[in-house]
Amino acid sequence: MEEILSLKKSFLKESKSARSLAELQQLRVKYLGKKGLVTSKLKTLSTISPELRPACGRAVNEVKRYITEELRKRETLLKEEEHKRLVLSEAIDITLPGKFTPFGREHPVNKVLSEIIGIFVSMGFEVEEGPEVELDYYNFEALNMPKDHPARDMQDTFYISEDVVLRTHTSPVQIRVMERRRPPLKIIAPGKVYRCDADISHTPMFHQVEGFMVDTDVAFSDLKGVLESFIHSFFNVETPVRFRPSFFPFTEPSAEVDIGCTFCSGKGCRVCKNTGWLEILGAGMINPRVFEMVGYDVDLYTGFAFGMGVERLAMLKYSIDDIRLFFENDMRFLRQF
Amino acid sequence: MRVPFEWLKEFVDVTATAKDVADRLTMVGLEVEATETMEDDTVLEINVTPNRPDCLSIIGIAREVSAIFRLPLKIPSEEIKGVLPLSDFSVEILNPELCNRYAGRVIIGVTIADSPEWIKKRLVKCGIRAINNIVDITNYVLLEYGHPLHAFDAGTLKGKKIRVAVAGPQNRIVTLDGVERDLPEDALLIWDIERPIAIAGVMGGLETEVSHKTKNIFLESAYFEPFSIRRTSKSLNLSSESSYRFERGTDIEFLENALNRAALMIKEITGGTIHEIIDAYPVKYVPDHVKVRYERLNTLLGTDLSREEILKILGRLEIPAEDNGEVFVVYPPAFRRDIKRDYDIAEEIARSYGYERIPVRIPRSPLSTSRPNKKIGNMLRVREGMKKAGFTEVINYSFMSPLSLDMIAIPEEDRRRNTIALRNPLRQEESLLRTTLIPSLIENLKYNLDRGIKDIKFFEIATVFQDIGKPLPLEELRLGGILYREKVPSLWGEDAQGFYIAKGALESLFEELKIKGYSFITSLEPFLHKGQSSYIYVSGSYLGYLGVLAPDIVERLDLKKKRPEIVLIELNLDLLLMLIPESITYTPIPIYPYVERDIAIVVNEDITASEIKEMIRAFPLELIEEVSIFDCYKGGNIPEGNKSLAFRIIYRSKERTLKDEEVEELHASLVKHILKKTGGELRK
Repeated sequence: MEEILSLKKSFLKESKSARSLAELQQLRVKYLGKKGLVTSKLKTLSTISPELRPACGRAVNEVKRYITEELRKRETLLKEEEHKRLVLSEAIDITLPGKFTPFGREHPVNKVLSEIIGIFVSMGFEVEEGPEVELDYYNFEALNMPKDHPARDMQDTFYISEDVVLRTHTSPVQIRVMERRRPPLKIIAPGKVYRCDADISHTPMFHQVEGFMVDTDVAFSDLKGVLESFIHSFFNVETPVRFRPSFFPFTEPSAEVDIGCTFCSGKGCRVCKNTGWLEILGAGMINPRVFEMVGYDVDLYTGFAFGMGVERLAMLKYSIDDIRLFFENDMRFLRQF
Repeated sequence: MRVPFEWLKEFVDVTATAKDVADRLTMVGLEVEATETMEDDTVLEINVTPNRPDCLSIIGIAREVSAIFRLPLKIPSEEIKGVLPLSDFSVEILNPELCNRYAGRVIIGVTIADSPEWIKKRLVKCGIRAINNIVDITNYVLLEYGHPLHAFDAGTLKGKKIRVAVAGPQNRIVTLDGVERDLPEDALLIWDIERPIAIAGVMGGLETEVSHKTKNIFLESAYFEPFSIRRTSKSLNLSSESSYRFERGTDIEFLENALNRAALMIKEITGGTIHEIIDAYPVKYVPDHVKVRYERLNTLLGTDLSREEILKILGRLEIPAEDNGEVFVVYPPAFRRDIKRDYDIAEEIARSYGYERIPVRIPRSPLSTSRPNKKIGNMLRVREGMKKAGFTEVINYSFMSPLSLDMIAIPEEDRRRNTIALRNPLRQEESLLRTTLIPSLIENLKYNLDRGIKDIKFFEIATVFQDIGKPLPLEELRLGGILYREKVPSLWGEDAQGFYIAKGALESLFEELKIKGYSFITSLEPFLHKGQSSYIYVSGSYLGYLGVLAPDIVERLDLKKKRPEIVLIELNLDLLLMLIPESITYTPIPIYPYVERDIAIVVNEDITASEIKEMIRAFPLELIEEVSIFDCYKGGNIPEGNKSLAFRIIYRSKERTLKDEEVEELHASLVKHILKKTGGELRK
């Protein structure tokens, strides 16, 4: 009986000094293994007198249970400690920067262009394109700007030959589409255009989005509705919009569309020349001469058209004051968008 | 058009401030771009659109102001009392199709001197230099009435006869500005009996100009055909206040009023005596009329204006109209020849009624499925792909310098030499349309390198233009890219060569776009490194190239860097977009497990990795699912002239689980096959 109790004591002592799972395993073998101390004690039970046997049996089994339980507890504890050590040893400096794989950037003009296209597509407009080198016929004549017409002074043109130009606007796409398709039409035509002009507010190349709608009962008030929706979506719903009479040979009545100056909120500043307004696009009802050029029945169809400069809108959106920045392609500029 | 406010008020008693008048004019289509305070007056700078030549005058603007503020317009009296009979001058119009009317008055006994201060002041405010009283009065009336006049020194005219005729061959004239000009054959001229004395409607001649010696003058007021004046002005590159108005169209009826107004002023100021008017008017003005349906106006504008309202507006604009039940008839006055059809009337109504009062409406178009533009959508995907690969987008002008192609050593017979040239470039460096995006991208690189930027990945999507002997060039969309890296110490390391970074970007892009069947083969591009460049083919079609810029060209760039690594990409984007599959079909996910085996062999370094990969793929075994290369090594224990390549092969069956022994056998035969074909040996 004493031997059994001293077994428990010696286990307690040894288990306290076991510092690793391996040492614990040795202890398990020493006490509970096939030839372990507890196991051999169990085997000797048969040699003990029958009166003492039940008590001794209970005592050995009790010690066995105790040791098994103790080993389990110690094991859990040691495992926890070992994980802790492992984690500690693998600690890294989390303040070091990550492996930086920067995405590229979309050019701000294309970013704004995509946004414009998105808004009109959501209104049911389709996107069409046309060539950048264009026949004089499509760029001017079919748009009611015959040769020797003073309206041609409104656009400084790059010529390739007498009859071929770099398109000065995206309006020729209007003609090309109308020659090919019949109404109803709701089209936008984005693209590059060219003017023979260069200073702080003009570059020889820039981007425009042309838009037009032709159907049996399109009115000037529809034009106002579509453009107001666009402006409110592109800027914000509070942006003031103003339609002002103007002149373009291919629309009549024509309008220039102003928004409340985004720089001074309409109070008047250098950018808006103290008017509180900034012109952002030109528009109007499609001139019946244009319909006649493409063989549409002017008594049946009416339509509106508009054109906007993408750089202009991008400048307002991002408060950029020099249009030339768009084409210098300075990484420090491009990465801001 | 500069309009002094005090001058304007002479014709209309407006009590509003200059700023109010400016705002209201802007809102009827006469945009006041600026107002300038000069002395005690305000000058309105008005942008008069080409359709409104009638507003290129103080009276024209006053007419608009009178309509806006509903005030009467006060036209000065031009009644001339006590005229002398017809002078002995006569006028003959030989080209009446170009000159419908030519009127004039001879004024004798004028005294040339400086103009009175009040005239000079007004001219200066309008930006016109004072010269002498006669010239100043013609300019004064031009500004006031909008009709150009010209005064000849009658004493210098030969034969007392004015003729109006085209130049014909080889004629010259010295104009008022002292320049001797060759005249285009179709230019309309004013002649005496001997010689041209003025370029009609553009500029007078020096020999017949009014000078301090002038005693008698011939004062001209005529109507010239707009297109003819514009053509002459354009071909001589000479424009004037007169040509500006004539080419936009002047008032053929009102020209007499302008003539009389000037004659009266000359009489009062210079003391001359006026002769009776000479008036050659071979092509009479026929007033037009336009029928308009009331309903048409309202449907066009989206308004609901009453008949009375419409007629009232026209009345205020001095446009006579006659109510005719459902329709009304408009008789456009001679100063409004721009009004020709119902749309023109709609414009007048809309701007007078006020654009801001026209209702806002969302189009009542039926729900329609718009055809989405697949090209635009796919372009967005390409742009997105390049962005994710770390490339930043640039936009360059579509121009290039004639030297650009030399710089990148493009041979004479190359298609990229079939350039389109601009007739009127802004600069020589921008005189051709691009046939390749490379020169611009190199420029972008240099620009940024000069500013100390060390890590550059740019791409551009743009059209290039090739002359193909047709009126319009061939336009092709390109995707171009440039990559430059400077080896700088970096925390996590980045050791791939530039070529492979760029190639990887393209491969990732192709994967994203689901483009298969592409191959890279050695390129012959003249400006690329012969050992580090590649053509790209997709399903047998040439797509473009990728490669390192050749060392000799790098040297020419003068980048102040030692052997910089510059990689270029240029692809035919139109083709790439076409290759993107229209739809996606799902492939079932494999249900049986795969077995992986590696093969590492040492081969002659001339054998390319893709050749071996192709050999493996071509090995007749449908159980090979995938082959990838995971190591390429030279040096160390690998013999000189050789390299070690390692491939990983994935075996999988669609029908069952493969057994290890089975794969072992297959793989062994594959290895044997490869060793035999390449003459290589297994790496130890």
